[in-house]
Amino acid sequence: MSTTETGNSSTTESAVSGLDYEETQLTLAASGASRSELERKRGFSEGVDLSLETKDFLSGSSDEAPISGAGEPSAAKAQVVGWPPVRSFRRNVLKSCTYVKVAVDGTPYLRKVDLEAHAGYQQLLTALEEMFSCFTARNYPNERLVDPVNGTEYVPTYEDKDGDWMLIGDVPWKVRSSSNFTGNIKGFGSHVEAINKEELEGAISTIHGKHHSTENNLVEW
Amino acid sequence: MVGGFRWAAMFPDEVWEHVFSFLPADADRNAAALVCRAWYRLERRSRWRVFVGNCYAVEPAAAVRRFPEVRAAAIKGKPHFADFNLVPSDWGGGAEAWVEAMAEGWPHLEELRLKRMVVSDDCLELIARCFKNFKVLSLVSCEGFSTAGLAAIAANCRYLRELDLHENEVEDNCLHWMSHFPESCTSLVTLNIACLEGEVNVSVLERLIGRCPNLKTLRLNHSVPLERLVGLLHRAPQLVDLGTGKYAAQHHPELFSRLESAIAGCKNLKGLSGFWEAGPTFLPAIYSVCEGLTSLNLSYATIQGPELIKLISRCKNLQRLWVMDLIEDEGLIAVAASCKLLQELRVFPSDPYGAAQPISLTEHGLVAISAGCPMLHSVLYFCRQMTNAALLTVAKNCPNFTCFRLCIMEPHTPDYITRQPLDAGFSAIVESCKHLRRLSLSGLLTDLVFKSIGASANRLEMLSVAFAGDGDAGLHYILSGCKNLRKLEIRDCPFGDKPLLDNAAKLETMRSLWMSSCSVTLGACRQLARKMPLLNVEVINERKRGLPLELQPDNCPVEKLYIYRTVAGPRSDTPSCVWILR
Repeated sequence: MSTTETGNSSTTESAVSGLDYEETQLTLAASGASRSELERKRGFSEGVDLSLETKDFLSGSSDEAPISGAGEPSAAKAQVVGWPPVRSFRRNVLKSCTYVKVAVDGTPYLRKVDLEAHAGYQQLLTALEEMFSCFTARNYPNERLVDPVNGTEYVPTYEDKDGDWMLIGDVPWKVRSSSNFTGNIKGFGSHVEAINKEELEGAISTIHGKHHSTENNLVEW
Repeated sequence: MVGGFRWAAMFPDEVWEHVFSFLPADADRNAAALVCRAWYRLERRSRWRVFVGNCYAVEPAAAVRRFPEVRAAAIKGKPHFADFNLVPSDWGGGAEAWVEAMAEGWPHLEELRLKRMVVSDDCLELIARCFKNFKVLSLVSCEGFSTAGLAAIAANCRYLRELDLHENEVEDNCLHWMSHFPESCTSLVTLNIACLEGEVNVSVLERLIGRCPNLKTLRLNHSVPLERLVGLLHRAPQLVDLGTGKYAAQHHPELFSRLESAIAGCKNLKGLSGFWEAGPTFLPAIYSVCEGLTSLNLSYATIQGPELIKLISRCKNLQRLWVMDLIEDEGLIAVAASCKLLQELRVFPSDPYGAAQPISLTEHGLVAISAGCPMLHSVLYFCRQMTNAALLTVAKNCPNFTCFRLCIMEPHTPDYITRQPLDAGFSAIVESCKHLRRLSLSGLLTDLVFKSIGASANRLEMLSVAFAGDGDAGLHYILSGCKNLRKLEIRDCPFGDKPLLDNAAKLETMRSLWMSSCSVTLGACRQLARKMPLLNVEVINERKRGLPLELQPDNCPVEKLYIYRTVAGPRSDTPSCVWILR
């Protein structure tokens, strides 16, 4: 007997602390009826992330860093409930640490990227490039929400506590606080005000513990 | 006894009460109360501090009746494994019954400490209203309340000295709860709000601590920005224990020097914690107080080894260190060299689930600490590999361990060099450490380790077992040995009915037993419940499929079992997933 399920009458609050990795993965499978509203919102982000994943963004790089806005599942390991015995309070704090808010001049909204989801600085740059490329070149045919009447594109966003407009879907649903969708983002990590190469490197090296040499061919935004 | 009566009459009651006041330990007081009726009467009227280790072990009204003069009460609710989501969220542990009884019978209550209980805002409001002399509220690992409840406490407890909120889940629905502290509140000694998730009005906080000259402990939450920490420290330079808020900001030399001097201004600082999102930039700001530190909690800071070493090497007087495994073996070797007064070490995993970055924290770090720190007596260590040889060395170096908790993160991990189970290593620990009170096992373990524990761990009070053992013999060794065992918690072990039934009487000498994902059947639980009327045998079955429990056959496997001694009989607040067998 390994995995036991916690009671499914639990609120999303306790589900957050339940930390079921299976639940934080984006799937198209239908879940409980009570979550239909969540599904609708998640539906779009699924669309976005799926489209990102089907493309090969990593030009020539050998390690396939999965681009995920939804928390990277560790290599097919079954999550045993309550093991290792780390308090949910401690787990949640750690997890939220690695999300970085990314702002690019001239774009209507910011993005959040999980630094931990990328193996290195180069992969992160590539991922960020893709995240913001939709504003410069419309070169990937994918399922975007388009109003059939006037062709306006719809993107679900929300305004966070700093007054920034954020695209929904970067942060896995369960990591976000359950109760508050349009207000406080609770417990999120480093806020990168502008794309400052040193700060971003510093933030990454804090997470990964490596020292990245400054490369000359960095993309400057 | 005639003799007892004569003695009791020799002195007036007040003299006896004064004598009993020298017996602080509950166990001693309990013993005195059994001597004769006179002593029972005298003792109960003079006991003013009560500890209830299991809130369901006694009826609240009975406890309040027996000890009418209580000023300080501490009560614990859910089983320890609730911390790891093994206990259903609606299991129980509600505080209302206790708070209502206390409001009725202990109007002079000054201190209330609750751990792992469900505390509603109504409870907090009742506390705020009913106890006119209330001074200390400590809530540890509790849930069910919001900042609105805290507002009631702030507004009404005029003599509040301590508000200590440690790792609770608190709903944030009253943004300005701290504004409810009246201007007349000047008595705070401890304010710990580290677990609150919401924004804190720092200006209100500044004014509050500015008028509390006796404030010794201040632990902020992560919403308090680093820039504001400076102002807070200027208003409370007498602090002994500081928990920072967010310990990161845009690098700014002016901020750094202001922070550095504000911290240096706290000449009495002994404890530091917080450090959310700390990076290397602002760590050196605390260097000036490092030498005076006795307690340092960096377990929420994802700082890497080299920075940690630079910091901790300055902390020559450290007694307690909590840190993440990012410190690695090299860091622990540095700790062993610098922190000769270290008593307690906790190393937490930075990445419990993945193998994202291999962290070089191994058995070598633990061995180094055991060799370098002669006063070490309490260890919590998360790692991924271990050897029997290392544990033998640790056991030899540290015969004074009172608490040894080792968590090898992958279940069933053997000695990685010999591929043997870790029986020999843990056996050495229990045989060498004669004062061991708490032990947590992990790794590949057979029944042999339990034989050693049962035979040698005479002072052991709490044992945690997971993914260990071969069969019933393992549990039998524990229950038939371990004279002082109070709490036993077991998960995912092949322990079945026989050792439980054979050692039923033992269970009445313990506070509680938790078993989940073992091999216990419903029939054994029924037998146990019939045989032992002073035990509550709670069967927890969350899946709720098939027949209700009353109709299930004896061979039905039990998912989760919680057994505890009680004089209160079956509790009346069980949720649908819990059955108390009679």
